[in-house]
Amino acid sequence: MAAALTLEGVSKRYGDFQAVRDLSFQVEKGTICGFLGPNGAGKTSTIRMILGLQGVSAGRIDILGADDGRKVRDRIGFLPEERGLYKKMTPVDAIAFFGALKGLPTGEGRKRAREMLDAQGLGRAKRKKMKELSKGMAQKVQLIASVVHRPEFVILDEPFSGLDPVNQQGLEAMIRQLAADGATVLFSTHVMQHAERLCDKVVLLARGRKAFEGTVAEARATTPRFLELEGAIAPDHAAALPGVSGVEVVSETNGVRIIKAALGQGGRGQDALKSAFLGGLDVRRFELREPSLHDAFIGLTGDNPDVDQSENSPLLETAR
Amino acid sequence: MNRVLLIARREFAAYARTVGFWLSLLAFPLIIVLAGGLGFLTATSQPARVIAVVEEGAAAEGLAAVVHDVLQRENERRAANLERAGKAASASGIPVRQNPIMASVGRERIRLVDTPLAILQANPGQDRDQAVRQALSDGSRGDERLDAVVFLNRGSAGPAARLWTARATDPTVEEFVRSALTTANRQAMFRAAGIDPAVVIQTEQFRPQIDAFSPKAADGGAVTLRDRLPVFIGLGGGFLLWSLIITGASILLNSVMEEKSNKILEVLLSSASATEILAGKVLGVAMLTLTVLLAWGGMGAAGLMFGAPEEAMAVADVLLAGGMLAWFAAFMIGGYLMYAVLFAAIGAFCETPRDAQTLMGPIMMVLVIPIIVMQMAVRSPDAPVVQILSMAPFFTPFLMMARLPSDPPMIELVGSMLGMFAFAVLMVWVSGRAFRAGALSDVKLNWRSFAGAIRGGGK
Repeated sequence: MAAALTLEGVSKRYGDFQAVRDLSFQVEKGTICGFLGPNGAGKTSTIRMILGLQGVSAGRIDILGADDGRKVRDRIGFLPEERGLYKKMTPVDAIAFFGALKGLPTGEGRKRAREMLDAQGLGRAKRKKMKELSKGMAQKVQLIASVVHRPEFVILDEPFSGLDPVNQQGLEAMIRQLAADGATVLFSTHVMQHAERLCDKVVLLARGRKAFEGTVAEARATTPRFLELEGAIAPDHAAALPGVSGVEVVSETNGVRIIKAALGQGGRGQDALKSAFLGGLDVRRFELREPSLHDAFIGLTGDNPDVDQSENSPLLETAR
Repeated sequence: MNRVLLIARREFAAYARTVGFWLSLLAFPLIIVLAGGLGFLTATSQPARVIAVVEEGAAAEGLAAVVHDVLQRENERRAANLERAGKAASASGIPVRQNPIMASVGRERIRLVDTPLAILQANPGQDRDQAVRQALSDGSRGDERLDAVVFLNRGSAGPAARLWTARATDPTVEEFVRSALTTANRQAMFRAAGIDPAVVIQTEQFRPQIDAFSPKAADGGAVTLRDRLPVFIGLGGGFLLWSLIITGASILLNSVMEEKSNKILEVLLSSASATEILAGKVLGVAMLTLTVLLAWGGMGAAGLMFGAPEEAMAVADVLLAGGMLAWFAAFMIGGYLMYAVLFAAIGAFCETPRDAQTLMGPIMMVLVIPIIVMQMAVRSPDAPVVQILSMAPFFTPFLMMARLPSDPPMIELVGSMLGMFAFAVLMVWVSGRAFRAGALSDVKLNWRSFAGAIRGGGK
């Protein structure tokens, strides 16, 4: 499959701070790619470089056949992490305005805006001003504004942040529809569940470096399955079970522990369970778990994606 | 449509569609008219102060008559003023009798009345003072209010007075009495020197006629209002430029700050270059400023055409034939560019006016300088300080406009104009770099970060 986006050895430095290091990955046309990492991992800097808002310190970016995102600006849709639309504009006017900036005739932009708002159940909001809309509604309007010109490549920076579960589900449906319509989607998030549900491919980023590139299944496969044991169990007893390669105490209350025991190569859950009962361990709950993308991320990077890494972010981020 | 024009159109519409914009647009000329009109009406519509005059003792004899004479001459002067105003007004078709402003010009300021008997009959000293207090506080002259009682006397140094007034804060009566007694003293001194007081009065009333001529005057050498008009237009133009440019630049500052705080700038940057955004916003606010200028100009022209058609033609002649309008337009463009891009670049770093204060405070302090120097430029257009400051690009639009009527050397005019436009181009370049850097920056604005952003140029 042809690549819509290619990064080769891309780095970004702000003074003494290295935000992105030697990053290389590809996004194939018509796919949904998750760009994952904790806050401060370098996702937004990378996205700004892809869009051409910031220059690269080293490396090369190719997007839709151009070496600078600004050259193909009209073929890209972008939803930034921090969202905002003109508060006194109506959704239709706002969508048509941003469409017009991308070369869409205003009349056509207004027509599409009405259709897309209706399709998203925002028909009643058409005549309201942006400031009168709820956060979820405004976010949907902004997503519509970023794709009204039917871009070939859509970049969404943390699109789910601040949304309630219902709106998150609606947004997931919109992203699937974009891909179904032939667009390539790259979205960044630090919430792994969205990526698990949506992505054909994920790129994991930690402290500015790529930790993994591949499918969600491939990412999970990098991390062993594990047992979750609950009871008055000593960690060293759990570690001694057959097939267990390592343990981690998740919690402990009044001597009752929840222990996560990783299964090593060839390790089987039933062997461990049998051994636990035979050994007289106080096992009150036993569960064999497949690793999630979240587990895979921790396994691959040693970082927790929910932990903010932005404390060393550059003070001055600039646009081109 | 071109992105620059799209952004400019949105910027213009965002303000022009609000009621507040049109209200504030109308408010400025309204305030000017009210400030001028109210001041005039306050001065001319006050009721006459009603005063009674008492001569205290034989030495004061004749002083009351002098006060009467002075008041009579003052009233004659007012009548003459009214007649002149009437002639001027009738030339423009305004009926004097029906015009309350005209009528107020001739209104008397002081009216002398008979002294209440209770005061005259009271014994000098505490009794008389008590009677005066009574008269001033409850109006013992029947229905008519009494504002002051003046006791005239003559001391060793000359005529003097004790003034009892109902309103201690009103200096009108005191000023009148002082003037009258000065006249009385002057007459006495001249009389003692053997000079007829009538001759003195006649001499004081003489006003020499001076006809001014100038080789630059339009009407065959004689200097008329038409020749003095450019001075007023230049000064007014300077103030108007200052007001419009600072208003426009401030609108731009607030607009960019609003987009920064609402996180719209980043969305815009993904759709248009920083240069296009800056150009669009500057153009949009320029259209807004032009709307304000046309509205104010239109209202001013209409008012002048209605009130003083001849003067309106003279003003039009100065603006068009004298070339002041062309200079005004050039200074407007250069000045607006300089300040607009600078304010926009500052706005790109800020989310609230408080953030902008670090840089805006010193800039606004510097901007007070042309306001002060413009007034100096009218009287002393060739003073070195005025000349030097008018060559400084930041001040050129305002000070050169004020200096224009004095025909500054062409080299200074063209040089300052070129300097201003060169500096405007430099400002566009510098501010463009700062704008690009500030648009996506979270850094706190200060002189260091601003300079760093200019050096970095948004890379």
